[in-house]
Amino acid sequence: MPDPADSTGSQLILDILSDEGVDVVFGYPGGAIMPLYDALHRHSIRHILTRHEQAASFAAGGYARATGRVGVCMATSGPGATNLITGLLDAQMDSVPVVAITGQVRTPLMGTDAFQEADVTSIAAAATKRSVCVRDVTDLERALRAAFRVARGPRPGPVLVDVPQDVLKAACPRFNAFAARPIAVANERPGDAALSEAVELIRRAERPVAIVGGGARSANATQMFRELCALLELPHTATINGLGCAAPHDPRFLGMLGMHGWKAANLAVNSADLVLALGMRFDDRVTGRPDKFARNAVVVHADIDASEFNKVIPVRVALRGDLRHTLAHLLQRLAELEHRPRFSGWAAQAKALGGPLPADRTPQGELSATEVLDAFFAVAPDDAIVTTDVGQHQMWAAQRARASHPRNFLTSAGLGAMGFGVPAAMGAQLAFPERTVVAIVGDGGFQMSLPELATIKRYALPVKILLVDNRRLGMVRQWQELFYERRYSATDLSDNPDFVTIARGYDLRAERIDDAGEIRDALERFLVAREPRLLHCACFPAENVWPLIPPGATVADAMECRPGENLESEAIPA
Amino acid sequence: MTLALVLHDWRLVERIVGLTNRLGCALTRLDLHLRDRLYHATIDVTGPPDALRRLDAQLTRLLNDDKEMSR
Repeated sequence: MPDPADSTGSQLILDILSDEGVDVVFGYPGGAIMPLYDALHRHSIRHILTRHEQAASFAAGGYARATGRVGVCMATSGPGATNLITGLLDAQMDSVPVVAITGQVRTPLMGTDAFQEADVTSIAAAATKRSVCVRDVTDLERALRAAFRVARGPRPGPVLVDVPQDVLKAACPRFNAFAARPIAVANERPGDAALSEAVELIRRAERPVAIVGGGARSANATQMFRELCALLELPHTATINGLGCAAPHDPRFLGMLGMHGWKAANLAVNSADLVLALGMRFDDRVTGRPDKFARNAVVVHADIDASEFNKVIPVRVALRGDLRHTLAHLLQRLAELEHRPRFSGWAAQAKALGGPLPADRTPQGELSATEVLDAFFAVAPDDAIVTTDVGQHQMWAAQRARASHPRNFLTSAGLGAMGFGVPAAMGAQLAFPERTVVAIVGDGGFQMSLPELATIKRYALPVKILLVDNRRLGMVRQWQELFYERRYSATDLSDNPDFVTIARGYDLRAERIDDAGEIRDALERFLVAREPRLLHCACFPAENVWPLIPPGATVADAMECRPGENLESEAIPA
Repeated sequence: MTLALVLHDWRLVERIVGLTNRLGCALTRLDLHLRDRLYHATIDVTGPPDALRRLDAQLTRLLNDDKEMSR
């Protein structure tokens, strides 16, 4: 029998993390959490010291997005804990499994406005699936086990466990390893009647379109989704979180859907008589005006979370269950049909609804962001993991990415959190040290994550940073140009620092280009090296993301160029 | 709308109040009783139909996680 008091709460936490399969945690120490860091000093779990707690929660999210496993971050009480919140909300919005452990002031001090005291469980309640404070060391194991179980799913998300310092120090029995690690298995499958109705709607449809979302990634349903599309020769599109679920070179893949989606994808959904919505949640960036979205279509919606049904778009058939099970049953029933529908003709028509992506160019041939990204995706390795920050470059990248796997394109989609790209890439790189990991960032978001260059350097992470610098907060600038009569309020970053010098200050290799003729060679140097690199691309500032469905508008109002211009025009306003 | 909810953790009441407020609804009654180690809440909420539907969906999600957390 183990000595009943030969361990501590801190030791117990780390042992449970190990038992849950955690091999790396991201964090930042501080007063209240010092006992846990003291135990960590002697433990086999690898700790990655980020230079800001927000980066720790983004990195844990990046790790989780890339692997499907739970990402773990930790921080001290008060400001440490509150700095984690944005990363946790990001994980909540995109259904990413993350567990955060925060130190808390000693229980006798709680409620006294003690130094670095914050009621973080209340603060985190709206940013997580659950947040709990463990006030007794005997509750610690149950709370942590539950946190991992809830984080894993069936619909994944973040959980925060707050542990006062005296609980971290408290003596407790030594942890005995568990033989079986709990694994979240969503066995739910839709009912027979709903499946039959869905099959019947597919059989009768003339212009069906499938929309795949991040739920297919969470459910590991990519292959089955591709089989469904192949079986029916079904035109299909993806939300930004669903990119990579569709086979990138499938001729029936119409590209990304939504506000900055491909024209063919938006027009096809608009023309569809049946929408198969698979693991997606009808985000407003996808639907635009919901009352005008796919209004000729009946909707079959498959999701693990029943609260998504009819939340935004009325649904004819709701298929609640694990998407793999749902698709398996659909595939089986469709394959057994005597007259199985095939939609190759409609798929070709749908594809023809749109042309290539429109892009701005200047008469002087200044370096454009879309040229850079076109060239990058043409040469990036198939298995490269690409993260993005948030803004114009994110949309340009999402339009162009040809991810072969849904865990190869990682972006803060639902929350749209700037500063995500670099730390998320660090998390992905730690999970896959041998793979090429590239963070595509803008100059705004990059400056929110600059301290993480120190983390990249310290751990020799070969993360590549492709900086698309247009010296503007470009997406806001674009909206100011188009919807605020060119009143450019607080979006000018023309006094940006010298990013190459900054990177070199962290002892990282860096290179700057400002001419299209330099792109190819620079990208080759950038991608070949097995070391961290910054490629700073100085692009012209007035380039817009096209197409654009204006906010509150419909696909019929989609813009492909500035008002008064035509697609062939190269005129760019000053 | 009257909702009868079973909570494993009474602290979820804070979240229920927060969500009700966020969705532009109003809470007009909240009864909470401990029975057989579970908290039985009865709440009356008023608000636009769309908001009530969303609240109902959010609470369903919250209670699912609560159940899982207490296992």
